[in-house]
Amino acid sequence: MHLSYRWLARHVDLSGITPQQVAADLTLSTAEVEGLTRFAPCLSDVTVGLVKTRIKHPDSDHLSVCTVDVGQSEPLQIVCGAPNVAAGQLVAVALSGTELPGGLKLKKTKIRGQESNGMICSERELGLGEEHSGIWVLPGAPHVGRPVAEALALEDWVIEIDNKSVTHRPDLWGHRGFARELAAIYGRALKPLDVSLPQAPNASAAIAVRIESAACPRYLAVAIEGVQNGRSPDWLRHLLLAVGQRPIDLLVDLSNFVMLDLGQPNHLFDRRRLSPAGILVRGANSGERMTTLDGVERALEPSDLLITSGGSAVALAGVMGGESSKVEPDTSALVLEVACFQPAGIRRTSSRLGLRSDSSARFEKHLSPTLVAEAAGHLVRTLQSIQPDARITSQVSDVGAWMDPALRVNLRPARVRAVLGAALPDSEIRSILERLGLAVEAAENSWSVAIPSIRATKDLTAEHDLIEEVGRIHRYGNIAERVLVGELTPLPRDPRQDLVRRAEDRLAGGARFHQTISYSFIGDELLDQLGLAGAEHVSVVNPVADGFSSMRRSVLPSVLGTLHGNRRHRADVRMFEFGKGYLPEERNSSGEPREVHELALVWARPKAATERPWSADLLLHMQGVVEDLFVHLGLDVGAESLGAAAVEAGAKIPSWANPGRVKRLGKAGWIAQVDPRVLRRLGLSGELASEVVGAEINVDALLAAPRRKLGYTPTPRFPGSKIDVALALPTEISAAQGVAAIERAGKGQVAQAELFDVYQGPNLTSGRKSLAWHVLLQAEGRTLDEEDGQKFLKRLRREAELLGGELRSE
Amino acid sequence: MESANTLTSTVKARIEAAGSDTELRAIEREYLEKGGVVAGLLAAVPSLPGPERPAAGRAANQLKLEIAAALGAARERLASADLDQERSSAGFDASLPAQHSPRGSLHPIVQLTRELSDLFHSMGFLVLDGPEVETDEHNFEALNIPRDHPARDMQDTFRCDPEGKLVLRTHTSAVQVRAMRQLKPPMRAIVPGKVFRQETTDASHEHTFHQMEGIVIDKDITVAHLISTMKVLLRGVFGREIEVRLRPGYFPFVEPGFELDARCPFCKSGCSVCKQSTWIELLPCGMIHPNVLRSSGIDPETWGGFAFGLGLSRLVMLRFQIDDVRHLLGGDLRFLEQFS
Ligand SMILES: [Zn+2]
Repeated sequence: MHLSYRWLARHVDLSGITPQQVAADLTLSTAEVEGLTRFAPCLSDVTVGLVKTRIKHPDSDHLSVCTVDVGQSEPLQIVCGAPNVAAGQLVAVALSGTELPGGLKLKKTKIRGQESNGMICSERELGLGEEHSGIWVLPGAPHVGRPVAEALALEDWVIEIDNKSVTHRPDLWGHRGFARELAAIYGRALKPLDVSLPQAPNASAAIAVRIESAACPRYLAVAIEGVQNGRSPDWLRHLLLAVGQRPIDLLVDLSNFVMLDLGQPNHLFDRRRLSPAGILVRGANSGERMTTLDGVERALEPSDLLITSGGSAVALAGVMGGESSKVEPDTSALVLEVACFQPAGIRRTSSRLGLRSDSSARFEKHLSPTLVAEAAGHLVRTLQSIQPDARITSQVSDVGAWMDPALRVNLRPARVRAVLGAALPDSEIRSILERLGLAVEAAENSWSVAIPSIRATKDLTAEHDLIEEVGRIHRYGNIAERVLVGELTPLPRDPRQDLVRRAEDRLAGGARFHQTISYSFIGDELLDQLGLAGAEHVSVVNPVADGFSSMRRSVLPSVLGTLHGNRRHRADVRMFEFGKGYLPEERNSSGEPREVHELALVWARPKAATERPWSADLLLHMQGVVEDLFVHLGLDVGAESLGAAAVEAGAKIPSWANPGRVKRLGKAGWIAQVDPRVLRRLGLSGELASEVVGAEINVDALLAAPRRKLGYTPTPRFPGSKIDVALALPTEISAAQGVAAIERAGKGQVAQAELFDVYQGPNLTSGRKSLAWHVLLQAEGRTLDEEDGQKFLKRLRREAELLGGELRSE
Repeated sequence: MESANTLTSTVKARIEAAGSDTELRAIEREYLEKGGVVAGLLAAVPSLPGPERPAAGRAANQLKLEIAAALGAARERLASADLDQERSSAGFDASLPAQHSPRGSLHPIVQLTRELSDLFHSMGFLVLDGPEVETDEHNFEALNIPRDHPARDMQDTFRCDPEGKLVLRTHTSAVQVRAMRQLKPPMRAIVPGKVFRQETTDASHEHTFHQMEGIVIDKDITVAHLISTMKVLLRGVFGREIEVRLRPGYFPFVEPGFELDARCPFCKSGCSVCKQSTWIELLPCGMIHPNVLRSSGIDPETWGGFAFGLGLSRLVMLRFQIDDVRHLLGGDLRFLEQFS
């Protein structure tokens, strides 16, 4: 919303207070000022000129050559194309060097051979509306040679208010409301304004108005005649222009003026277009349609409120007038409507139709019904000040079940001090309230404060509301800070937050992963690529873009979605994310889906041209990262519940996982190679061909996992014996089976068996692989000798044979 | 046969001239070991005339000791020369680049959240979490924002069903209500987390971002305490005292409600960050509305409190001068790596 400084000054004396000061004070006490700009700045650059002579241009039919006195020693010659230019006119002259709003920079020139030292301007050229049929002939007798803005007293500043900051203030949707704030801030009086409806002698009967809906608590209609519609006086045009409202004609401008002055929308009907039967306010019939002033035909619903006459809609109540009944240039008899409508209905209608108007914006804020008569009186009186012949010709029809919202609120001055934390004396509290137009009836500890109607609809209804009034006018900046105090007790720590933090540190530190935070939405395309399109998802009905309505079920897909971009720039990509998955099939009693806390890990690198050694397998490295993490978190990784285990056939594995390369992390999740088909769909082929592994871990399962107990076992007193062994085993026998064989052969003496080689190739019988371990044998109470080693190897040879293999070396 | 004396000087000269341990070892073998020169001298002693024997024996033993000592000294000399060689700067290029291990990183929002969580935890605030898919009740109704309230326009809401019974929370304030219903006053809590607004994205607008809600409920809580707490917060974020100002701001769940502006930490007289105003609009806050307390079963006559809603994403952008909010959740390593 734009405010004009000059307009505000019509309501409160602002002498000695600059527009800058006004903007700063409104910001600190009332509403957010988003900008302060000079109105039509070029008016200060153009000069008042007097056209001395005008002759026809010798080489043109439509151009004139004028001499213009601009207050310099000699008149200037200026070529002008306007048909209405004439000697004796006072005009606005842009001299060479001046820049006009369209960016046109004037310079001395020749037009068809005639020298021209500037331009006589039209209103449009000065940014003063659309008028361009001729030059602007200045009103009154401005001083020749002075800047136009100064000579016509048009200097003004536009204060831009953030509408959101006055959503709760129905009284601040017009200049008078803001002037009332300034009066309170500066301790100056609000200028009186006569808004009573003039008496109408010999008035005809009132216009018949019937209200059929509770959504219209008050409707006032009155007939006016003797109006000559046409161009508004310049003072009115310029005020409207300053606040960004395009002047149209007197009637439209007046209606807007009253709305922007008092904040009360109103409507003028051409009387000829209304039925003599009068006006009916009712809900729309289902299937009913009407064309609004903007020329759009609208389909209506029974919840929309209509102003109708003679059976047809003439206005969409409180939102926009109808095309059929609008005032025309030749309108002289009209009906003025000022009404009050319930905010909820206006809001519903205007948001459903996507039709936000200045009027609907105001009604939504809950205007006081008392404003209705004030706005009517203000409009008629302003009209008569411009056209004294205009007169009310009907009795006033003022109907509706409205009640004056004015009320009294109790206020304890001690409570004001207690909430604000400021030592404000009673007298100051009272002074602030009274400056805001609130009457105080003071008793000992509790005051009764009278809230005027315009502030009583929803803004000021309780003690807290009044405390805010005192605080903001007193200025929060005048309150001294005070440190919080409290009892010292140890605060509980949240185990999940602690676990997440330790894990983040480990992953970003030792494991060298980068943390991501992704959108909770997941695109349909990515779901397709991951084979998740068929899964049930939590979704929104109004996504930001088509195909982005689903919310992820798990975190890992989001991270996989970034791979294509990241692999273009980086060979080794390691990322982790702590986040939520949303499960629609598990809802609580309020219908909220279960939100699962997850950790996702992704590790990608270029696909190798030749086979890598077993120890370079990315899946094993990822498993190492995860197991190290679990150790770091104090989890018992040895426990069955968390050790990575092969997956039983037919288990439901994550859709992204390669079914041939997947391990289960107990109840906590999965670790797997990413399915090569998924990778191809993600575009990770050709130059970006990648080897990718992922892990998906449920954080709450980690919280529930058994803890690793730290404890002491005595260090061995006798040295152990180290033996390297290699077993050639059938390929289907697992490394774990090999270790079990070693342990059986060791008869309780195997302290350690560390795999150091896996080999398949030429030196082996086909269908066999070779696995080699460093084995440490250890016995309690004695040193193991060579004979013990020989016995172990002998037993191991038999174990290997039982597995269908053999002991290769010793 | 040479005399022991002559031998001594010859051997010592050879030892002193030796340039390697191999040479010394050869000398050692030649003289001191089985079948060596000293052994020869000693073996010859019995064949000498009686009176000469003791002196010859002593001379041979003396020779053995002297050679051993000279060898020891020579070995020390060689080792020391080797160490000196290692300690020389010859061939050392101090400008060669370091060989880095790869690094990981914590997301900048996590970094800031941790700093603030630690700061507030140290002042007795619990750090709470809440659901992101919320009921209309928690996100709006209980916060004094009924249906058809114009304030709903300020927060374009993602609805999970056509009626909007479930929404994606538009602010972390939704957790306020949960906290007030679960915990008993006095209480202090912060709630960092993801929030959602149905908004077209560009460099400064995101439909998903991070906020941190804070609430304090206690006896005798005033605007003065709110101001102090906000200054502590800013000192924590920017590492120094920052001037703040409170001005009226409208949020239905607080009254009085404020916008808190901080003096621009990047300039003295206006810059692009503060849009030339020297103030940065930082966070909405206010005294918790009595209706909100009441709807959570807390008596507003006994208890009062304040709440604030910090834009974590915005603060991260301010701190690191990030020019496009979409980087934060974009998952681009080239962005994330910068925060390691
Ligand atoms: Zn700045």
